[in-house]
Amino acid sequence: MASANMKDIKRRIKSVKSTMQITKAMELVASSKLRKAREKADSAKRFFDALYDTMWEITAENSTFDSIYFSGREVKTVLYVVIAGDRGLAGGYNSNVLKLAQKRIDEASEKCETAVIPIGRKAVEYFTKRGYRVVARYENIAENIRMNSAKEIASKIMAAFKNGNADRVEVIFTDYVSPLLQEAKFKSVIPLEKPAEEAKKKNVQTSYEPSPEQLFDIIMPQYIAGVIYGSVSDAFASEQASRRIAMENATDNATEMIDNLSLLYNRARQATITQEITEIVSGANSQE
Amino acid sequence: MASFRLQIITPDRIFYDDEAERLIVRTTDGEMGVLARHENFAGALPSGPVRIMKDGKYRVAALSSGVLKVSADKTTIIAEAVEWADEIDIEWANRSAEEAREKIQKKESDKELLYAELKLKRALNRINVHSGNYK
Repeated sequence: MASANMKDIKRRIKSVKSTMQITKAMELVASSKLRKAREKADSAKRFFDALYDTMWEITAENSTFDSIYFSGREVKTVLYVVIAGDRGLAGGYNSNVLKLAQKRIDEASEKCETAVIPIGRKAVEYFTKRGYRVVARYENIAENIRMNSAKEIASKIMAAFKNGNADRVEVIFTDYVSPLLQEAKFKSVIPLEKPAEEAKKKNVQTSYEPSPEQLFDIIMPQYIAGVIYGSVSDAFASEQASRRIAMENATDNATEMIDNLSLLYNRARQATITQEITEIVSGANSQE
Repeated sequence: MASFRLQIITPDRIFYDDEAERLIVRTTDGEMGVLARHENFAGALPSGPVRIMKDGKYRVAALSSGVLKVSADKTTIIAEAVEWADEIDIEWANRSAEEAREKIQKKESDKELLYAELKLKRALNRINVHSGNYK
């Protein structure tokens, strides 16, 4: 009957409203976290760019210097550092980056061995469940990433490279392009990616302290920590942006649903009233 | 006095981006000074004090491991952390030194010991800089 229908609609409106409150709250939290995360990602990017430029300048100025970190070696094992979120409900954020990681790993595993360092609970779950070789795992570090944790991850990577457990290292993360666009990307850590414009070997006399080789052994872990720090900061900003948009859409959808349900509710109310009037009128008519 | 462009960058901020007349840092081989028109140089910096002279006055900061690069157009330091003497949280540094000492006492593993020693060096450097030992 109409009144039962009305009750039903009312209940649905109430449930959609409470969902909307949650999505709205999540949207607000994500946008405030995004602001902080973006500042951090920006300064991390400046730091990383300076580090990267300096490393290339050092190599460009030394004509005899060649390092295994630049030229690479025969690849038997590729190590992937995959950065995803600790939480879900962030639109396509987790699935996009994991999809890219899966694709890279599938391609590589035709030719060589693969291993993974997952960062973020979603990545850890994904790779442990599927039985990949997991070298180390990190959860709940993305939000307040400190140089210390980045250094620890870097030392794991360096150790794997030195022991021959990894000959190539790649990081897979989500690049923050704009508040509306985040892109899953991969970046080569070892060997180092060459800059867009190949720095020419300059004929500049540079003195080194200690020797260039030793200097590189000192800088390399710092550089890798810089890569990790930068990628994790970037990924975290992307996660927040992605969640904000997903929650904004969910809130919009909920508003629309409430509108539609209210319309239905009002129609049902009208129908009941009309029916009651018809009943009264026809009752009165039959009395005459 | 001739000056040169100095940039000091850490992960969370640009610490210094200005002209400087003199820079004194501690490299792996010892103290080193940079003046304008210094030769090209690249070196590693362990934890230590950084002294920057600007307008004839020195300011001191504590640096935790970084890289120094001197080129003709500018001098760059990229470091994990740098703080001016008056920015240092001395209680935190003291606590950190204490923790590191405890860890060194325990001698759990070589790696732990190495980390603890580095941590102690960073903390002592901060304490020294804060107390104005390099003024």
